Amino acid sequence: MSPAARRILVSVVAIVAAALAAGLWILRGPGPMAFADGPKVALADYRAADPTGVPASLAKANPVERGAYLARAADCMVCHTTQGGQEYAGGLGFKLPFGTLYSTNITPDKETGIGNYTDQDFLNAVHRGTRRDGAPLYPAMPFTSYTYMSDADALAIKAYLFSLSPVRATAPANTLPFPFNQRWAMNFWLGLFNPDTRFEPDASKSPEWNRGAYLAEALAHCGECHTPRNLAFALNSRRKFAGAVTAGWRAFNISSDKATGIGGWRDEDLVAYLAVGHADGHGTASGPMGEAVDHSFSQLAPEDIRAVVAYLRTVPPIISPDLPATLAPPAPASHRQGGGTADARGKVIFEGACVSCHGWTGESSISPFATLTGAWAVNDPGATNVAQIVISGTRRHTEGAVSMPAFGNAYSDAEIAAVANFVTARFGSKPSQITAQDIAGLRKQTSQ
Amino acid sequence: MTTTLTINGEAKSFDAPADMPLLWVLRDVLGMTGTQFGCGIAQCGACTVHIDGKPVRSCMLPVGAVRDRAVTTIEGVGASPVGAKVQKAWLDLEVIQCGYCQSGQIMSAAALLAATPNPDDSDIDAAMAGNICRCGTYVRIRAAIKQAASQRQS
Repeated sequence: MSPAARRILVSVVAIVAAALAAGLWILRGPGPMAFADGPKVALADYRAADPTGVPASLAKANPVERGAYLARAADCMVCHTTQGGQEYAGGLGFKLPFGTLYSTNITPDKETGIGNYTDQDFLNAVHRGTRRDGAPLYPAMPFTSYTYMSDADALAIKAYLFSLSPVRATAPANTLPFPFNQRWAMNFWLGLFNPDTRFEPDASKSPEWNRGAYLAEALAHCGECHTPRNLAFALNSRRKFAGAVTAGWRAFNISSDKATGIGGWRDEDLVAYLAVGHADGHGTASGPMGEAVDHSFSQLAPEDIRAVVAYLRTVPPIISPDLPATLAPPAPASHRQGGGTADARGKVIFEGACVSCHGWTGESSISPFATLTGAWAVNDPGATNVAQIVISGTRRHTEGAVSMPAFGNAYSDAEIAAVANFVTARFGSKPSQITAQDIAGLRKQTSQ
Repeated sequence: MTTTLTINGEAKSFDAPADMPLLWVLRDVLGMTGTQFGCGIAQCGACTVHIDGKPVRSCMLPVGAVRDRAVTTIEGVGASPVGAKVQKAWLDLEVIQCGYCQSGQIMSAAALLAATPNPDDSDIDAAMAGNICRCGTYVRIRAAIKQAASQRQS
């Protein structure tokens, strides 16, 4: 090769490498707290109240009690427990577009759980997404969020988990096809998308904001559902909290956009929604958010809920262009007036199975939890969550909550599509056009 | 917790947790067994009562949510002119077969006629579709509602 040809080759390789690096840099995007541009300081150097740890009422509690609170704040149990199964014993299936992943047993059983994990093993899993045997975890485990957790808090959670009775339970094997079953390849993903860094307070923000940021990002991992993902299935924080469909449910926009996010909600509405899973005029938490409220937020200290709200308020507004700018008012009291659909089955099903609780107006005579008016679900022209709630019901557990039974086994895909379209036409701003095929798809995506 | 409700025009006091369904209070605490337990999930209509004249499934309604609103049950619905006409039409047409669902059917029909004095078939569907009858007395229920409506005008 002549010197000139070699120079050209080297240049081409350099350009390709630079373009690749730039592409990866763009794909990687900013971190989840990059929008707050104040000076970040190491936790040890932060002089105001410690944003990590447990609330003041538990300050003197032992590590197991602190860990119990933090495990609830991180909502470990919901994913590591099957419906009706032993708590933390794993086996819940996550149906992804390319196969099913099963959560692991995190009880201290030595053979099938994490009983042999040292403190460092546990930190490697929670912060770095690495198993005890060195293999990488799939990011269904939200370690890209938990990585911001302090060592002390992660180890308190470990102390709590190790205080539980060991359960002997082996999760089913994952059903990922090639190439997704090549676990080693996830190391590239980890290198690119797991920041492997602990929470750093923003010195320009209040202690309450920093506590809220820590709770929302390191523990509650809100972004795992509410932030859209990029091509590599990593969180795209350029559209932080703009909403996304995860596990077949739509996690709505929780950015501070006034029309399509939570910017128009009052503080007390946000507090109520997190603490009990319902806010008058804004609907009721169902599906994965219902679980997050029942098992996590409803058990947090009031000051922690307020801190999360203070943090949410500051997330930059992003519009969800497919959502209506105004929510529909209550529907007319008579079945004769108000929105309808061409498919008459929708009304037939609604008047037989739904109207006794939800009413013709959408404002329930049974419980505010059953009021449809004002909820994003009925104002979403995709009708994803309406369909999911019809299929799965709501199964809420917080005190005072009323649950809806599941109708997935009672009605066909076409019937569920018809009633979902009737509900959005009558109680929302824009009728949906969901199809029987869509319903069949949603049935396949729910975690179980 | 002592609660006082106005049921069929009478004040009734009892001890019950606020989240107990009104149906349980009626049947198990107050011994008013005319209102039936069917499915327990507001899907059959057997437990229908009136809250301020509107039909509500008492199996799902927490008693604490009733507050100061008037409760009417099958034991008291005959005191209103509409309720009395519905009951008479039910007897005249011998609507009932086994009867288990019929207190709920009568409560829903009475609420329908109070709000819509001359219901057509679509009004009857909209008000009655959630009341299930496993004996299949639907044809006679529809006829009895229409008879009660016509007597109301006479």
